[in-house]
Amino acid sequence: MHQAAPGIKLVAAVLLVTFTALLPRHLTWLYLVPTVILLVLWPVCRMPIIYGLRRLLVAELFIVGIGLLTLLHPTAAPLFLSALVKSNLCVLAMLLLTWTTPFQQVLQQLRRWYFPTVMLSTLALMCRYMPVLGEETRRMTRARASRTFSSKRVVSWQNVALIIGQLFVRSADRAERIYLAMCARGWK
Amino acid sequence: MLLSCEREPAGHNKMHLPDGFLDAKTALLSSGVAAAGVGLALRQVGASLEPRRMPMLGLGAAFVFAAQMLNFPIAGGTSGHLVGGVLIAILLGPNAAILVMTCVLMVQCLMFADGGLMALGANVFNMGLVNVCGGYFVFRLLQSVFRMGQQRSAVFAAAFAGWFGTVLASIFCAGELALSNTVPWSIALPAMANVHMIIGLGEGLATGLILLAVLRARPELVAVQQAPRLRFGSGAIGYGLLICLGLAVFVAPFACPWPDGLEAFGRRLGLPARSISAPLADYHFPLVGSPIAATAIAGAVGTLLAFVAAYALARVLVPILGPSKKDASAGH
Amino acid sequence: MKAALEVRNLSYRYPQNGRLALDQISFSVAEEECVGVLGPNGAGKSTLLLHLNALLPERIVSTPAIWISGEPIGSHNLQLIRQRVGLLFQDPDDQLISATVFEDVAFGPRQLGLEGPILAALVRQCLGQVGLAGFEERQPHRLSHGEKRRVCLAGVLACKPSLLVLDEPTSDLDPRGRREFKSLLQTLPGAKIIATHDLELVVDLCARVVVLDEGKIVAQGPTVPLLSDEPLMLAHGLEKPHSLLHRHPHGPGMPLR
Repeated sequence: MHQAAPGIKLVAAVLLVTFTALLPRHLTWLYLVPTVILLVLWPVCRMPIIYGLRRLLVAELFIVGIGLLTLLHPTAAPLFLSALVKSNLCVLAMLLLTWTTPFQQVLQQLRRWYFPTVMLSTLALMCRYMPVLGEETRRMTRARASRTFSSKRVVSWQNVALIIGQLFVRSADRAERIYLAMCARGWK
Repeated sequence: MLLSCEREPAGHNKMHLPDGFLDAKTALLSSGVAAAGVGLALRQVGASLEPRRMPMLGLGAAFVFAAQMLNFPIAGGTSGHLVGGVLIAILLGPNAAILVMTCVLMVQCLMFADGGLMALGANVFNMGLVNVCGGYFVFRLLQSVFRMGQQRSAVFAAAFAGWFGTVLASIFCAGELALSNTVPWSIALPAMANVHMIIGLGEGLATGLILLAVLRARPELVAVQQAPRLRFGSGAIGYGLLICLGLAVFVAPFACPWPDGLEAFGRRLGLPARSISAPLADYHFPLVGSPIAATAIAGAVGTLLAFVAAYALARVLVPILGPSKKDASAGH
Repeated sequence: MKAALEVRNLSYRYPQNGRLALDQISFSVAEEECVGVLGPNGAGKSTLLLHLNALLPERIVSTPAIWISGEPIGSHNLQLIRQRVGLLFQDPDDQLISATVFEDVAFGPRQLGLEGPILAALVRQCLGQVGLAGFEERQPHRLSHGEKRRVCLAGVLACKPSLLVLDEPTSDLDPRGRREFKSLLQTLPGAKIIATHDLELVVDLCARVVVLDEGKIVAQGPTVPLLSDEPLMLAHGLEKPHSLLHRHPHGPGMPLR
């Protein structure tokens, strides 16, 4: 599965998610189709069970959150259940997609599908610098924490806001240097 | 997995729709409007953004992503997280902000399986377009109307705009859920709007605080400082039209208080008559009776509270010591 | 023989505050020569280096002040200058923008029109030159600081520059990283300019040094005698390197006891 072409995996994910999301609003045997497909694909994609369950659980909190609202619909319970199952199946499909397809490949495929270049370069730079900014954030948080002696919420909010503000300034400076470095290597 | 940074999904963001709650027509409509909005933003960015500022789009997206991970402690063990749509709109300008938020949502969906794939269009429309444009518009409006010294009015406007953008986006989200016939409007609107009127306070407060931090450190980095007076160029008109279209499709069919007119409108849109007026007729609210009145009152009260809170925040955080050095040098 | 680099009366003011960053800078670098640029923080070293790659000033003035292998820097030949002068930035994270090492090293040559197997061969050769053969598919954020630096160097070498300009190449490196980078630099042909605080590196690699302070050249000349001049070093925020503490400035390289 990991070696399959990213285009196929993306299209398959889209089709599966679309099919699942458009299933009727009460549980029927049709629900078995995506369920079986996904349960078969899970071991094929070699996604660890614990990992998958953990991610599903986290998504659950949130699916149930919105799902509870559906209980107030005239058809109530069947709608709630079907929405729950549908959501989970779709999340599982996306988990399998992200497990088997590094985002790099997704970007390459999007480029082949003539996705706008500005978006592609933004996505590429974003992915390259997410860990860098994450590391800077961690360092700033630790530095702040080492000089914070109050546990008041006001202080925490001020600290976090200062860190985010400082992160923006550093990111802007870094973007400037990146521009210079790109020009230095001939970028027009 | 090849996740470069493990993070917990955006469960904190109650507007981030997963798959399975929107029906085909809503997903298609919202994706269409979202694509149009992103297309417009791309055109604006292509025309007006200098090459020097191109890397800032990517870094800005990484920044929003990193900022969304930080905890704003609320109560007990719970904490809130910044969405950042209005903040990045103020910092980078609305066109860049739309692209940035779209990329953030795409990465959340396609790299972290966070947020639905079919719902991506709706999420981009709500959090990338409505939140950004609505918040930015209100920000510029307030900033130009309330002149309290540049930093103070910026913080006040940012705080209220952050709240407003959140609430506005939640209303559209409720509309999408209602149009999909997943949740009746009379439940979706109060649930979404009231919850987000509270969550929005946090977003507004955070937006104001962060903007103040940036203004104090490097005011020249804030794009909006360089932008001329709010004027309605083709971009603004385009976004305005798209949001009005969204209003017409996702909100108006339900928000119209006259059931007869509602049915007529719905018939014109081709929606089955029963699905629209039935939910409104069947639900009553305690004390107020009509769900519409209850929502309207809640909305008005919430807006007023947020307005006052934003104003108080700005007054408290930015002391007036005569015009500050930055105000003087900016030549306001 | 044309000098690899010639700078004549270069001056520059920061556009934000009008402060004079560089004041009548003049020096030259011969082919195959390695020159060190020293000075305290804020002396203008990085600003000078950005000028050498035509990244500053933002608008090229009509009277040239910099010649690269005899070619004056002007607005008409920016791309040529940027190919001739390879600039290695201080923070490798600013220069390493692509998702894989291969893509990043290929960035420069791609701008110059190379593609396909020729490009791949060039990338592999440059990675081999910096000691990172086999690193093509690695992701930047998983590399060590020294490895990132070397990838950036490979990316700069891939453009086949005639002048290599390095901004603080050994900062943030551990002693082994510094030693490895130093021996790597020694293997690279061509003219080199190294702006650094690492005085030991300058003693080992550079035949001449230029000392900057507050935008002006306060001294230039052969490395050992200049760096041995302790009063001069201390006056400009530097110091006599430890390796010269017991060495006579005009004698052979044997330490005196």
